[in-house]
Amino acid sequence: MNNTHSQETLKRMVSRWLPPHQVPERFRIHTDTTDFFQVEYDDVVILKDRPYLIRHNAKELRFGLEDDVKFWVKRAVDLEDGSLKIMKLVFYEKFMSHIGDIEFECFRSPKKEARILDLVSGHKNFMQGYSIPDEKGNLIRVLDFIKGKTLAAHVGKMEMDHEAYYHERFPQILDQFLTCVQAIRFLHDNGERHGDIRRDHILIDQETGDYRWIDFDFNYRHRENIYGYDLFGLGNILVFLAGMGDILLQDLKRDGNPLLGTLSEADLNIVFHNRVVNLKKIYPYIPESLNRVLLHFSKGANRFYDHTSQLLDDLRHVDITH
Amino acid sequence: MTEAEKTYNKNILIAVDESENARRAVSYVGQLLGGLPGFKVTVLHVVPEPEEDYFPTAAQKEEWLSKYTKKIDALLEDCRQLLIEIGFDPKAVSVRSTLRYCPSMAECILSERDETQYSTIVVGRQGLSRSEEFLFGSVSSKIVNHARNCTVWVVE
Repeated sequence: MNNTHSQETLKRMVSRWLPPHQVPERFRIHTDTTDFFQVEYDDVVILKDRPYLIRHNAKELRFGLEDDVKFWVKRAVDLEDGSLKIMKLVFYEKFMSHIGDIEFECFRSPKKEARILDLVSGHKNFMQGYSIPDEKGNLIRVLDFIKGKTLAAHVGKMEMDHEAYYHERFPQILDQFLTCVQAIRFLHDNGERHGDIRRDHILIDQETGDYRWIDFDFNYRHRENIYGYDLFGLGNILVFLAGMGDILLQDLKRDGNPLLGTLSEADLNIVFHNRVVNLKKIYPYIPESLNRVLLHFSKGANRFYDHTSQLLDDLRHVDITH
Repeated sequence: MTEAEKTYNKNILIAVDESENARRAVSYVGQLLGGLPGFKVTVLHVVPEPEEDYFPTAAQKEEWLSKYTKKIDALLEDCRQLLIEIGFDPKAVSVRSTLRYCPSMAECILSERDETQYSTIVVGRQGLSRSEEFLFGSVSSKIVNHARNCTVWVVE
């Protein structure tokens, strides 16, 4: 145990930040986090002499369906200043991921996330934090807690018809999303990729209103186009935002939508074959300039984006009123 | 000399990986040119510097690289033997593997060509679906699109 952090000292520190009934009598102290299952609620992790009180495990809330506990990701309180943190312990994981009918190898990389945290320090469109090795060299990432909901939840919960959404809300959402695309371009220009771009990996910061990317530890074995998967993720989010959700063939069928008959294979997502990308056929007021960008992600596309700068150039020419 | 009168050398660079398509490309060159005088073939494999992020430790990375290099040496020798069996003079066939930082395999192959002045590059077609090409890109498509001062054969 670290001499500078006796049980009494820790108790005194915790008492500054938590109400009396939540202050534990004794603390289990960890300086080695290799076995992250052993790091539990009310334990203290000491990194480079700085103590953090562990709270709950984080959960993966994807599309509101999954609720998987991520035992290697903890909420924590920095006992020096009382700030709420997300602490990501080291978990090496390799697995085959499936997107549509495509299989590819993915892995988690603490080193990658630590490197990107350094790179994006001070950038308003990324989560902020730092990495510290524990005594066994595990690279722990300590992240500032962002209060706010995901972009997926924000758009998914809007109760209005699409036309009203498109005219009243979408312009501002698109502007904010553009800053996110610029942020990804910044990563790519620096030889990094996000690796897991999806709409629940953008948090809307409740304090500033900024859209902020989270979770950069995911990576995959790239083939020829190092940024292709990131671009695909950006395209999916853009289509989701323009459509105020995914426009699924099964929903159109269920609702007996007469526009279903106007759709062809070329109008569907190039990878997810049940999602409509040619939104102008569903919502005629969507302008050509925007729809052309969306169609780059369709089965009918004859040209793909190779780089974020191409997507950004096209998005900058979008006039959402015409 | 006009463009139409430009001369081309008889040096062929076959870029291979571990796929069946690559072996087909080697076989194609052997069947087409084996026994003909003047042609020289180099079978090339570019070993991409392994991504640091993929390996938890540097030792694991080195171990992987060591095993991979042995596998590639065997692959290249196999290709060399195939060309000789089909009719190439052993002196006209060489192999080369090179370790380099490779965010784009196509660019690395083209860069190797630039350094060695081969008039023709041969690659196997990967046979990717449109979705796969969209997500991850295609080495052969990129070589075709970016090659300059050389001819590209893509073997189906």
